[in-house]
Amino acid sequence: MKGSRISLRGCLPLVLVAATALADESIVNSKHDLSFRGPGPIRAVDETRICIFCHAPHNAAPQTPLWNRENPRTHYRIYESSTTDARIDQPGGPSKMCLSCHDGSMALGNVLSRPLSHPIVMTARTIPPGTADLTNDLSDDHPIGFRYDRALANTDRQIRPPEVVSRELPLGLHGEVHCTTCHDPHNNELGDFLRITDQMSAICITCHEMNGWRHGSHATSRKRTTGRTVDPTERLKYASVRDNGCLNCHKIHSAPQHERLLRARRNEDNCLNCHSGAVASFNIAADIRKRSAHYLPFRSGIHDPAEVPFTMRRHVECVDCHNPHAVQPNRIGAVRSTVGRTVRGPNLHVSGVTLSGRETSDSTFLYEICFKCHGDGTHRPRRQTRRQISQTNTRLEFQTSNPSFHPVGGPRRNSDVVSLISPLRVGSTISCSDCHYSDNARSMGGTGANGPHGSLFEPLLVRNYDRDDFTPESAQAYSLCYGCHSRESLLNDESFPLHRRHIVDLRTPCSVCHDAHGIYRGQGNSVNHGSLINFDLSIVMPTDSPSGRRVEYVDTGRFAGNCTLTCHGQVHINFPYSGGRGVSSRSVSLLRKGARR
Amino acid sequence: MKKAIVLGVCLIFACTIVGSLAWGGIEGSKHDFSNQAWSADDTCGACHSPHRKEPPKAAPLWEPDADLTRRFGTSFDAAASTQRYGSGPGRGTMMCLRCHDGTIATDTLTGVKGQRFTNKLNPGLFRTSHGGSDHPVGVDYPRLDKGFRPITSVVASGTVVLPNARVECTSCHDPHNQSGQDFMLVTSNARSALCLTCHKK
Repeated sequence: MKGSRISLRGCLPLVLVAATALADESIVNSKHDLSFRGPGPIRAVDETRICIFCHAPHNAAPQTPLWNRENPRTHYRIYESSTTDARIDQPGGPSKMCLSCHDGSMALGNVLSRPLSHPIVMTARTIPPGTADLTNDLSDDHPIGFRYDRALANTDRQIRPPEVVSRELPLGLHGEVHCTTCHDPHNNELGDFLRITDQMSAICITCHEMNGWRHGSHATSRKRTTGRTVDPTERLKYASVRDNGCLNCHKIHSAPQHERLLRARRNEDNCLNCHSGAVASFNIAADIRKRSAHYLPFRSGIHDPAEVPFTMRRHVECVDCHNPHAVQPNRIGAVRSTVGRTVRGPNLHVSGVTLSGRETSDSTFLYEICFKCHGDGTHRPRRQTRRQISQTNTRLEFQTSNPSFHPVGGPRRNSDVVSLISPLRVGSTISCSDCHYSDNARSMGGTGANGPHGSLFEPLLVRNYDRDDFTPESAQAYSLCYGCHSRESLLNDESFPLHRRHIVDLRTPCSVCHDAHGIYRGQGNSVNHGSLINFDLSIVMPTDSPSGRRVEYVDTGRFAGNCTLTCHGQVHINFPYSGGRGVSSRSVSLLRKGARR
Repeated sequence: MKKAIVLGVCLIFACTIVGSLAWGGIEGSKHDFSNQAWSADDTCGACHSPHRKEPPKAAPLWEPDADLTRRFGTSFDAAASTQRYGSGPGRGTMMCLRCHDGTIATDTLTGVKGQRFTNKLNPGLFRTSHGGSDHPVGVDYPRLDKGFRPITSVVASGTVVLPNARVECTSCHDPHNQSGQDFMLVTSNARSALCLTCHKK
């Protein structure tokens, strides 16, 4: 027993030497060794030479490396994409040589050094269907046959300069990308005959320089990729997200989604593959199936990275708000006020529309991402509530020059807002996501992902917000509003002196008088539409007054004004009010406590 | 004694058989022109002449003058290659091309000037649609190219010959067919061993 152990140990170096000798650092014994002693299932029946399948010392084709095969005369379907700046042509030069086997059309043993009638007899006539058979449809493969020159690098900001690339990967005589740019047919040391390893996307980022990739989650996460839901049987090359890098979502050859070479045909499936609870921490798939969600399954496939926000058809995909090349973990604590308005980890490097209506490729503020769909677009979502002033362009609703608005686009200086709960104060700014957020978000004490993915409360609200008439007042009914505006202050009539009367006694919801977003300055003025007053016309009716039939609110000073309308059968004609008590001593003490905390 | 003679004869006979199998030799090879009418039963005379009036131009008593000034086109792209091209094919190569360039006889390897021997033999058997090109000869061995093995290891192999550190016809082919390989190669090309002596692939 002891002796055998010793002899085994003695054999180990020999075994190692043998293994090294068999490693694919040379074409010998690699998959490209098609001689009859080659290692693969596809090999010659009696040919002993290795080079002869591609090269001949005499009477070769006039192509440079003494080429021993005829070029395929196939017309290939080439890669197309709305975001490609390169001019992609039919493959040429070295690529055609590879395709003379790998398009699956030409017989493997059909070499120029042998008569057509006597080709080298192979175990398979042509390359069998599978990963090595690229077919004549190259639209699902990484493009080849385009010039990678300075002009291209100047147009496409997400690729590195060709002179830097060509130091590591060979380009063609005129700077074209060929099969041989990434693959060295004679050396399979790294697998797939790659020139640089694809672990951690090393070979991809030699050319592609995606904004924010290096520090992004998809380039750094050590999570294991087992348990994917969309293509669970498809084996990824490496075990962790970090090692797979680009390969998590992209397939370089024979990609199911041709454009942009994605693993899944449906755009969102590429994300949900991992973000369904198995690989990534949170189950977004569950969130987006909620009653109100950023998900329009029947509008899948509309998204295009080259789309123009103003004219694009209505849709919502993960990549509308997230840039998978740049996403970083979400490290926020609580929602309100600490979210901030500036984009963070999950939304880094996402395009948007600024408050002034300009397109930007890199949003600074979260609302800029929202404005892409909820702003000027002709196909923007409509609003259900019919109001005095109708505006569906949220970008206009949040203009800082508006008579009144929630301080999303910028701070507001209205000292009348006495109900704010610390740390919010007059002059604070909030974010769209302070109200529109998943109801079970982690930062709200739930277990789900942060962000406006899906909620039980329409329209994608973080908390309940009842808008039905005759809603009995409770902390729950207007939970959304009470998150920032102290229920106590409101019901103590510290600002509008009839808040309690309206909300509690008459069971009128907040939304009947207030329009949560804002009133665009082009439609309303500060006299009639201060304090976000924009009546819900399904509940508030016009009434006949000396100056005509109308619904009108008039601001007459601090905590004072009058209304002309009919509501709940009550007719107000220039009905005046005044005397909001301002901040009560109790509220002040509460506020102070909050500040101290 | 008689036994010993029989044994000796048998031994010589066996050696001849084995020799013809393993070592080849020019006799009986395609380079043996002794049965041709013009050769006067002289195996060597096709290429070598032991007695000449003028001083020999080439070392191995080369029979007719080789035109050493002829230029040959090359399909190899000098710009794409790091190797330096020499001043053209060397003497040994020119000797081969005297017959093998297609103007004089037999099998042409430059593929331009004349017909191929094989084509004459069996027209249509080999495809001639392409221009054809050949492994470079008369070039310096690419010492600095990473795709090639060090020249010392090539020399040490004892198979590939690099006269003046250059690649010539005789680097791969032995016109005297001493190893008896197909195409008169200097060694067997099974597993592409001959190619891989120089090419690091």
